[in-house]
Amino acid sequence: MTIRKILAASAAVFVCAMAPLSAHADTSGKKIALSNNYAGNSWRQAMLTSWDKVTKEAVKAGVVASADAFTTAENQATEQAAQIQNMILQGYDAIVINAASPTALNGAVKAACDAGITVVSFDGIVTEPCAWRIAVNFKEMGRSQVEYLSKKLPKGGNLLEIRGLAGVFVDDEISAGIHEGVKQFPQFKIAGSVHGDWAQDVAQRAVAGILPSLPDIAAVVTQGGDGYGAAQAFEAAKRPTPIIVMGNREDELQWWKKQKDANGYETMSVSIAPGVSTLAFWVAQQILDGKDVKKDLTVPFLRIDQDTLDENLKTTQKGGVANVEYSQADAEKVIAGAK
Amino acid sequence: MNALKPVLSKPWIWSWLAAALTFAATALFTGGSSAFGLSQATLTFAAFSVMVGLGQMLVITLGPGNVDLSVPATITLSGTLALKFMETESSLILPGLLVAIVIGLAVGMANYALIKLLRIPPIIATLSMSFLVQSLAIWSNRGLRIKPPEALATFTTGTVFGVPNIALAGLLLSFVIWWLLERSIYGRWISAIGQSPFAARMAGIPVDGTRFVTYVLCAVLAAICGYLLASFSGGAALNMGTEYLLMSIAVVVIGGCAVAGGNSNVPGIWGASLFMFLVVSMLNTYGFGAGIRLMLTGLIIIAVIVAASRPLNGRK
Repeated sequence: MTIRKILAASAAVFVCAMAPLSAHADTSGKKIALSNNYAGNSWRQAMLTSWDKVTKEAVKAGVVASADAFTTAENQATEQAAQIQNMILQGYDAIVINAASPTALNGAVKAACDAGITVVSFDGIVTEPCAWRIAVNFKEMGRSQVEYLSKKLPKGGNLLEIRGLAGVFVDDEISAGIHEGVKQFPQFKIAGSVHGDWAQDVAQRAVAGILPSLPDIAAVVTQGGDGYGAAQAFEAAKRPTPIIVMGNREDELQWWKKQKDANGYETMSVSIAPGVSTLAFWVAQQILDGKDVKKDLTVPFLRIDQDTLDENLKTTQKGGVANVEYSQADAEKVIAGAK
Repeated sequence: MNALKPVLSKPWIWSWLAAALTFAATALFTGGSSAFGLSQATLTFAAFSVMVGLGQMLVITLGPGNVDLSVPATITLSGTLALKFMETESSLILPGLLVAIVIGLAVGMANYALIKLLRIPPIIATLSMSFLVQSLAIWSNRGLRIKPPEALATFTTGTVFGVPNIALAGLLLSFVIWWLLERSIYGRWISAIGQSPFAARMAGIPVDGTRFVTYVLCAVLAAICGYLLASFSGGAALNMGTEYLLMSIAVVVIGGCAVAGGNSNVPGIWGASLFMFLVVSMLNTYGFGAGIRLMLTGLIIIAVIVAASRPLNGRK
């Protein structure tokens, strides 16, 4: 009898890992809410679409009772704090947050924790200790670019760095990682640095302005959303195309593919998949299920290389961002990896 | 010295002087070898600022309180819808331009309807309109990037005898606006309204009609800019217009147009647009950090405005 029970349980675990949508009875009555602060670019749009797709199936399969998404209109911390207060009153069991500020929501998050609600923050994380954090290692994202380049260009050379929006935490982190990488591989030198605001047209204008005064550039290190603009600027200036690290946008991958087919161009592309919202969903579900989960988890990067370019391009929506949706099994792997 | 006086008294001379100085400073960094590449890049990107700047200039000429804040949203919507309409089909390039212009007309008319019929101040009317227009752009393509037709992309990034086509398009529009402002009765009317709306009305100028045309012109210029910008940068994006709100106002002010209205000039818009691009390039070239760069940009702009508005001998 007991052996049979153990067998059944392990079979259930196995089925869970293989087909994550098969219901786990413990959370079938639970309600999860997504509190999102901004929806005004293609990455956030993809994030919401992924959430919608994965949670709808999970609700249908009876894993959770409901998983509603809410987005604030103004990208304001005060507005989002009010939104979280509402969610507490509505009796959600877990709140998944992409936060407008790492600290300004702490009061509301604490109130939610005190009401017995599980709070999981991702991408835009909160510092309140009672909440879980699914953070991105932005420093490593910057450093890994230089590491990749050191293999491609053993002799090194001049780098052009395209940064993001000045004064934003993410921009400082990625840039610090890149500078760390340059220290680690001193054959590289940053010859110029511009702010591209993570937008193709801004990056294009900034690069076009500095390019005439730059020496030969061996590679361009980027932060995502700016690689295609840089490529356009190099083309317009009729300069040889350096290795430009891409950021998983469809137009960047499309351009890369064209170059690859024409002259064997090689580079890599790295960013965070918008589907990270679904990872946060499964982590919240696991916590509700009573699993022991560390408070700080790390999101895996979505990296595209020469040999995985074609298949990623096939699955990326035209004009969108390369994406993966996470399964319950992926969440379990991330949770196990943090221990 | 006397021969120089008429030139020095022009309000736009300061923006050109500043542009020339920053150009020289940037080119000197490489001993002059970058001059050709830099001037090409400058002409291209300045042309976009010129297009939106011209429209904003006409609106600001109308006098205190007149400003169009819907420029960025109009750029985004026209770029998005025009490229979506063309669907990379080269035969649809001209109809696509027409779509952009119609969007400009519609936004301009809606702006003025809010201002006139609902009596909302322009600054609030155009701001709320920009939310509507931006939401329409988000809703219409969900942030996906649409490619321009190949022929149009080639045209917008191409050159004629070394001069970028975009700069030529900007020059053409500038001539049209210069003629309207300096040679046509319409130009007299907007200046008169800007100097005193009451006196203008007494003098029999159709104040409402003139203001209506001005807001529509501004939106149409922004729409054309959006169409060209989206084709130039390889696709429309939701945030493509953001840069051009402050830019459109800054080039008007730096170009030596009166902020209170009633007195504007077209050459200043060009000088200021060239300068705005060059000053960022110069500070990037010399490798300043973002904080210092933004601070210096602010200080330099203040210096140019002060110089441009300083009363000279012989002027009041």
